[in-house]
Amino acid sequence: MTAGAAVDAGEPIRVMVVDDHPMWREGVARDLAEAGHEVVATTGEGRQAVRICAAARPQVVVLDLQLPDISGVEVIRGMLAEQPGVRVLMLSASGEQQSVLDAIKAGATGYLLKSAGPGEFLDAVRRTATGEAVFTPGLAGLVLGEYRRLAATARPAGDEPRLTDRETEVLRLVAKGLSYKQIAGRLGLSHRTVQNHVQNTLGKLQLHNRVELTRYAIEQGLDD
Amino acid sequence: MHIGPGVSGPPGTARSVPGWPALAGRPVVCHRQRVRQNPAPVGTLIVPLWRALAVFRFTALGYVLVLYVRNAADYAHPLVAVPVLLGMIAWTVAATWAYARPRLRRWPLLAADLFVALVPLLVSPWIIGRPALADGVPTIAVAWLAGPVLAWAVAGGRRLGVTAALVLTAADLAVRDRLNESSVTPGVLMLLAGIAVGHVARLIGAAEDRLQRAVELEAATRELAAATRERERLARDIHDSVLQVLAMVARRGADLVGEAGELARLAGEQEAALRALVTSRVTVPPDKPAAPVAAGPTAAGSAMAARPATLDAGPVDLRSVVNGYASSRVSVATPADPVLLPGRLAAELGAALGAAVDNAVRHGGPQARVWVLVEEEPDTVTVSIRDDGCGIRPGRLAEAAAQGRLGVSQSIEGRVAEIGGTVRIVSEPGAGTEIELRVPSPDTTAEEYG
Repeated sequence: MTAGAAVDAGEPIRVMVVDDHPMWREGVARDLAEAGHEVVATTGEGRQAVRICAAARPQVVVLDLQLPDISGVEVIRGMLAEQPGVRVLMLSASGEQQSVLDAIKAGATGYLLKSAGPGEFLDAVRRTATGEAVFTPGLAGLVLGEYRRLAATARPAGDEPRLTDRETEVLRLVAKGLSYKQIAGRLGLSHRTVQNHVQNTLGKLQLHNRVELTRYAIEQGLDD
Repeated sequence: MHIGPGVSGPPGTARSVPGWPALAGRPVVCHRQRVRQNPAPVGTLIVPLWRALAVFRFTALGYVLVLYVRNAADYAHPLVAVPVLLGMIAWTVAATWAYARPRLRRWPLLAADLFVALVPLLVSPWIIGRPALADGVPTIAVAWLAGPVLAWAVAGGRRLGVTAALVLTAADLAVRDRLNESSVTPGVLMLLAGIAVGHVARLIGAAEDRLQRAVELEAATRELAAATRERERLARDIHDSVLQVLAMVARRGADLVGEAGELARLAGEQEAALRALVTSRVTVPPDKPAAPVAAGPTAAGSAMAARPATLDAGPVDLRSVVNGYASSRVSVATPADPVLLPGRLAAELGAALGAAVDNAVRHGGPQARVWVLVEEEPDTVTVSIRDDGCGIRPGRLAEAAAQGRLGVSQSIEGRVAEIGGTVRIVSEPGAGTEIELRVPSPDTTAEEYG
């Protein structure tokens, strides 16, 4: 998760905006441009986003999950296949919970509600670019729930990802709206350690998802 | 077909309906009847059976006439048979006409049919001669006798078919002085025909019932599907337009102060409320009025007032209850999958949660924010409510209870204790309050609440 660590606080970030609502697209692009970032592409369609991703080479894709043509998960898979280092920050107007979780499992590393203020948004873009996982309390609740679901439906093989007690503790506090700094203070950890714990919870889920997809492909004989 | 004066338009056929070739040339009676029977076309499946019966009657009549012509020379009084045969021809025509009208297919017609059939039977000994009948020669009615048997069977099923067959067989046997195999055979055949046709008629009736139910069900399903589609379309529309604009207003105005900032905050409230509304896929309404705009003193109060509606409902998705409290100040985190609880449990927990959220919003200060987290573990469901308000001074809760103000302890602890759960309240002045409600989930309390 250190691939994007080269991004410094003041350095411009190459951003692609994918949102089917023109007003939003423009508003978000303007905010990014005003903050000194480079908006390399904007589009309202998922397929087009996947197509132009390789050429535009964004560092961060700001992605609305509800697109007219293909699902957010398909967009994320497609873009990660074209441009493995790209980071995806989801922006959604409605709390489509299952699709948010699916997108996270597919490789998105950040999630923000559209009602977040411009400051919060720009901060999220910057953090996403550095490889940090951007969690809302809502997303932490979803991820917690997903680990518990996996534990409850565990197969004998027992290769489901599990949270450590510390990770569970950290995720719960994120879901209860505490900032990383507050969590660090409460648990007596460094800010960086809290960040790592949160990131690990996503990493394990995404790895598990990839393993599951591969397993499925092999079972279906699609591995050739 | 007579059309009285004053009736304009084409003569009494359905030809006036363009694009309905199947109706062209049909008598108006049929058309009217179809209209009256809409939308459930009862009795249409049985029509072919009545038509087949009419064909049978005429065929049997032809057989009667052929037999008469062939055997008249051997009859005792062949000329007496002529009026009887004319009567049989007349009745065959009349019965065919009458049975074609569903309104006339009732007891008078069925009884008349049976009595008329008895006539050729009873006069047979006189026309044909008793010795011949005793030898097993058929009566002059022969197979024509089966007409009423089949009519009774079609009209009333196996039992009526058998009854008619028994009456006619009894009469047929009564006119013979001696019984042998060939004199019994027609009776047996009539009985079997009565049973078989009656059975088929019943099957058709049952099939028709089912068809009608299926038609009604399909219509209802189509209406429901249409309503669901319309709801989804509305949700999409709202998502694509209103939600985006509201979120945009909230976002643009977030940094403004004064009235503009207040407008932005209101837009944010509305956005959250609408979002909760269009994304709620659960049919059980959250314990909350549709628009949680006023995150003030009334919110939790009305939540409790609305509570009894869900008291004894089946399993309720706790998320739908909790999501009802989401607003720009209240953030809700839940699993992606439904958290199903028995209605009573969900209602009590929702009410306790409402009291906690209400308390946090009311006492936490104007800038206080609230976070609600729902967690489901194998044997417990935990709802945490945290606010970043001014917190509760140690001993404050006990003080309030002592003063007879039961707000928090009664609403939260009382309710949660009642459903077998526990409450943990952690609060420090200046650091907000955290309330954790833990209740045993259905698996462990299935007998009591399931």
